[in-house]
Parts: sequence; structure tokens; C-alpha cells
Amino acid sequence: MSGRELSYAEAIREALAIALERDERVFLMGEDIGVYGGAFQVTGDLVERFGDERIMDTPISELGGAGVAVGAALTGMRPVYEFQFSDFSMLAMEQIVNQAAKLRYMLGGAVHVPVVFRMPTGSGLGGAAQHSQSIEAWYAHVPGLKVVEPSTPEDVKGMLLAAIRDPDPVVVFEHKLLYKMKGETPEGYYETPLDRAVVRRKGGDLTIVAAAIMVHRALEAADILAKDGIEAEVIDLRCLRPLDKDAIVASVTKTGRLLAVYEGVKTLGIGAEISAIVAESEAFDYLDAPIMRLGGVEAPIPYSPVLEKAAVPQTEDIIAAARRLARSEV
Amino acid sequence: MAVEIVMPRVDMDMSSGRMGRWHAAEGAHVVKGATLFEIETDKAAMEVDAPASGVLKFVAASEGDVLPVGACIGWIVPDGEDFVPSASSPQRSPGGREGAELAPATPSAPSRGWRDGRSRDARPIGHPMAADEGARQRATPAARREARERGVRLEDMSGSGPRGRVQLRDIGQRGLVARSASSVHRLWLQRGAGAPVVFLHGFGADLNGWRPVQRLLPNSRPALAIDLPGHGLSPLGEDVSFRALVEAARAAMIEEGVREAHMVGHSLGAAVAAQVAHEPPVKALSLMLIAPAGLGEETNGAFFTGFLQADTEAALTPWLHMLVVDPAALGAALARTTLRQRRERPLASEQRRLAEAILSGGRQGFQVRDLLAAPKAPTKIVFGIEDRITPAHHADGLNGLIALHRFPNVGHMPHLEARREVAALIEELARAGAASA
Repeated sequence: MSGRELSYAEAIREALAIALERDERVFLMGEDIGVYGGAFQVTGDLVERFGDERIMDTPISELGGAGVAVGAALTGMRPVYEFQFSDFSMLAMEQIVNQAAKLRYMLGGAVHVPVVFRMPTGSGLGGAAQHSQSIEAWYAHVPGLKVVEPSTPEDVKGMLLAAIRDPDPVVVFEHKLLYKMKGETPEGYYETPLDRAVVRRKGGDLTIVAAAIMVHRALEAADILAKDGIEAEVIDLRCLRPLDKDAIVASVTKTGRLLAVYEGVKTLGIGAEISAIVAESEAFDYLDAPIMRLGGVEAPIPYSPVLEKAAVPQTEDIIAAARRLARSEV
Repeated sequence: MAVEIVMPRVDMDMSSGRMGRWHAAEGAHVVKGATLFEIETDKAAMEVDAPASGVLKFVAASEGDVLPVGACIGWIVPDGEDFVPSASSPQRSPGGREGAELAPATPSAPSRGWRDGRSRDARPIGHPMAADEGARQRATPAARREARERGVRLEDMSGSGPRGRVQLRDIGQRGLVARSASSVHRLWLQRGAGAPVVFLHGFGADLNGWRPVQRLLPNSRPALAIDLPGHGLSPLGEDVSFRALVEAARAAMIEEGVREAHMVGHSLGAAVAAQVAHEPPVKALSLMLIAPAGLGEETNGAFFTGFLQADTEAALTPWLHMLVVDPAALGAALARTTLRQRRERPLASEQRRLAEAILSGGRQGFQVRDLLAAPKAPTKIVFGIEDRITPAHHADGLNGLIALHRFPNVGHMPHLEARREVAALIEELARAGAASA
């Protein structure tokens, strides 16, 4: 059953189109998402298909746009707000963190805020310090939000559809390097759960936990490691809040070794949480080596392409770390 | 008991010596006092005599080798004894005391391991870790879990991981038997088929204290008695802790092939029995705790101090009488035997160290009460109401499934003072345990 292939960006566009067709409460907002087709050409021709009342270009005011989206969601609409870069969402933090994430709680469940924030994220395109960050851990720290980071076209379509239908705010991180990546994508409407990790590759020697682009680097690394007889199990987190603890603990209990790989700055990042989950769990007694983290360096993302690459984990870094871990050299 | 042969210090300045000729070959029988090997120091060559009689085994040095003082160069194993040395430092090994006569003023000198590639100590001599010997063994959580479940003592191992860290694979290469168990003295009071009763004595006692009650059990009931470290014929070892007692008892059981047992413990030994019963790999089919320690905090601090300080029969007897209501239950020779044993072995000093570690300030430094919250096997507690060491009320408030037998006019030694009744209870519990297993 060879399926149809879409790029990650196409899969998002398809999900948005399906949602727009299925549910008239759904509409899109964002800077340049209309005629221009979006900063990364994700929304593309949607404005022609659905009109500028449902594909709304917003002024250069992230706070204002996000505020409108949250307000519309409160009234029962299903807005999807696109940031050009996740870095710019910092301007809208008040709406996302203080309003969207908390209103249902503060009003005793009387309201829901079914808004989706889409955030192109990560480095690799020469965007420099203010357009290349990985701040997903910031949002994953906020109760009241769901935070997902799909790594494949199939997942991003299913998770976006699930996010739009979800009654509460969901933040979707889309790694910019994934937009052109192709993969089998089912047709029609389907949802992918917003709380479940997935094992992308089975192995018994160590567990690599990753998300988004790092999943692909980890899988590449695992293929090379396999030639050395090291079988890595690769877990794609998919969701950062809630984190699928059971999947992580089960895998580490089996392999006894954990390598957490993430693009965000290493200190206090997603990998720190994963390490702590394992250390606190019954998998602790099965650890046969120290936990290892590979994260971004403690610096802004540089503009120089050479330094930009050096600032976040690359496939070779994962191979080297996994080798040392599997061979008990750490 | 096997005796370790170490590189002796023959003058004050000596830190290492060069091996000369062996006067006996590996596997040969040697006689105590006969010349065993020669060494050469900076100043002189000299002959060294065999410290014991037996078979020369595990020779770890040959002519020309330069070894630090205290390094193990072989073992003398008594005829017929099945002995495998542990890789631990000399003074923990069974023959450590004999070896120590020649051995170093710096007992932490690392042992060299074996030449033939079986060496468990991959650390080079003089490696920084050597100074840490006796410190907690580095091990991964997985290795610790495996060691725990298999009764292997990590302290006796040297790992293959970075800086000697024990990894899971290191445990995997070892048998189920803890090597240090060889130093734990135990005796089958009755051999036979099926799960045995395993007896663990209390503080200051030894396995002989079980003989009166064991004699009243049916001959079909196998019984193994163990001398806890620092008691009877078992050396205390370096790790002085409640946990070490538990591990020693467990290791001895595993080495005897005991995987299922009816655990019977008295006082401190009862707490050890409860702990052994609580964790794999030994499965307790039943558990009998006689005047158990570990259920409450208080204990009779004065008793332990007085008992350990008394060095004459006249001084010791009143303390022993505190144990019972009717002194006749103890037997007339107990004070004399106790003092004789203390002269032959460093029991008083070892037991003092143990008391400081686990009974300091008249408080019990270990607890097994939580382990009894949900008994896994039929459990009985036996107390004398007149117990002056561990108060009988410590058994209050436990899980209702635990049977409590309180004997009036009995003190801290129900297995002596009410031995017929206690023997009957042991047999009854063993049957119940076997039936419910």
C-alpha cells in the first residue's frame, strides 16, 4: 500500500483546508498568510480557496493578533494563528500564557479557549539570533497549554487536526527544516493523539529521545551506529506537554541508557525534564550508564552558517555521544 | 579457613618487594613454618615461612615481580576446603588476620589480582582510586539492582566501566555466589530435603544458641544456622552496618543453595531475617521473629555496654541474667564460654564497633517495621512479657495477619526459656508456610 507523499508544509496546508471545510468556525490569522502565502509558504493558495474573511492577514502586531484569536476562541470560534517565527511569539506571551492558558481554570471551567498557535521554529536557515530559536520548552512549562512538535507530514496533519478540534489552547511547533521534507501522508480527515510519543526505531542498546528535526538526525545516526553493532531505540516525543513518560520509562528500562537530544539550549531544556523523569522513575534501577544530554550551546544562534551548525546537535554529534554511551565510556 | 599470603614488610622503609624463588609449586601441600618463598628488598634477601598448613593455590606472583607490601601473592587453603578468594583488600578476606601478622602498616595497599587474566582489579597500582579503597564502590543503578537480587557484594568487585565503575555486564559474569560468603560461618544443624529453617541469632550470641530449640524440631526439618558478621566464627568485615549483616546472611544462604527458607531470627537476627525475607532472591516461606529488634527505637543501651565491657565471669553473669527471668535457662557455662571465645577471637571489639554503628545511644539504628506492613508469608512474633532488652510492646500495632505469641514469665530468650513451645510454634509455622507457598 504505497501511500501518497506530501511535504510537511503541504500536509499542514491540507490539514488546514480540511478543517476549514469541515467546520465553519475555523479561520486562520497571521502576518502575510493571505496573498503572500505565508512566511514559509505554508498557507499558500488557501486565501483563494476560502477567501480573506477566513484567511486573515493581520497587522504587524503579534500581541494584537493573538489577542483577537484568543477572544474569538472565547466566543466559540476555532482560530488558528500563525506566527512568522516562534521567536516573535514572545511579543504575544501575555495572550498565550496569561490569557489562553489560564482562562478556563480561572473561570471555573465556564469557558474554553480552543485556539491553535502555529510556530515555525529552529535553526538551519541562516535566520540568526532572533529568527532561529527553539523556545518550545518555555511553553511546555505552562500548565493549561498543550505543546506539540510533530516530526513527519503524517503527524503534523493529524496533530494539527486534533489541535483544532481540541477545546483548549494548543501550541504547534513546526521545525523550519521539516517544511520541505516529504513523507507518506494519509488522505482525508484523521487525528493523531496530542499526548503520545512513538518509537521510530527499535533497539536494545540505548534510548535516544528526540523531537522534530532531531528525530531525523537520531534515525540517521542510528543507521550508522547499527553498522558498529550498536542498536539505538529512537523515541519521537511528538508532544512536549503532556510528555509521554511511560514511553520513555519503558524504553530506558529496556536499554539501560538514555541520550536526550534537543535543539533548545541545553540548560533547563526538554532534555533536563526527560532526564529527571527517568531518574525519578522505576527505570532508575535499570540505568547502566549516566544519563547524557545533547542540547544547543549556551549562546544565541550565530549567523555564520558554520557556527550555526555547530550551535545545535548534528548527526555526527549524536553518533559520537551514542557510541561513548553504548560503550560505557562515560 | 584459607590464609592469604601477602608481600610482607620486613623493614620499616620497605614499600615494595621483589619476589624471589617459590619453595613450593601451586597445588603443592605446604606445612606451616616451612620456607614458602624468598623476597629481595633494597637491602637484603630473605626467606618467608608458610603462615599455615594446606594447599598452595591462586599463586599471583612469580620470581622477579615487584609488588607493594600487603599485595596478595597467593593463598593456603586447608585440605578439602572449597575456597575461592575474593578480590577485596586483604583484611576483609577470611585469612586476613593471619596474613596481617606480616602485613603492612598501611592496610589499604591494593591487591594485585591474578596474573592469568582473571583479575577483577583492573586498576593499576597507585591509581588514585586505590586511596579510596573501602569507600563506596562505584556502580551503576542497574548493577546495584542486579547485585542486590543475586546476592553479590559490589564491594568485592572491580568494574569494567570508567574509573572502576561496576556495570551490569560485570555482574553478569559472576556466579550467583557472593565470594565473601565464604567468610560467613554457618552450619547445617540438620540436613535434609526441602526448604530449611534458617536461624539467625541475636547481638552477642552465635549459632550455637539455637541448638537447644533445634533439637526439639523433627529430624525431617532441615536447619541451617548462620553466624552473623562479628559473631561466632564470622569476621566482622569492613562494612559495619545493618545492611552488611543482611547481605552476609543472604550470601551465606545463597552459597548453601538455599533459595526458599523458613526464616527464624532472634532479636537483632530477627530484624535481619525480616529484611532477608523482604527482598529477592531468597524467598521466605514463613517468618518467625523472636523478641525482634527493629520494631521500635528504644533498646537497653546499658545492657550492651555492660555486656561488652565485662571481662570476668563475675562481671558478665549479672548482665547475662538480664536476658532471662530464670537464669537456669541459660545454662551454667554461658559466661565462661563467652569469655573464652572473646579471648580467642576479637569478638568484643568487633561487637563494640557493630554496636556503635547500629545501636548507638541506646537507640536501634535500623527499622523493619515497615516491611511487616504487608506480610508476604505467614509470620509469627514471639515475645517474653518480661523482656528487658527489646520491650514486648514493640509488637503492638502491627498488621493483624501477624500472629503474636506473648509468654508470661519469660524474658528476652523465649527460644531458651520456653523452648518447647517455641519449637512447636516453629514447626507449626513452617508447615503453614510450606502449605501456603
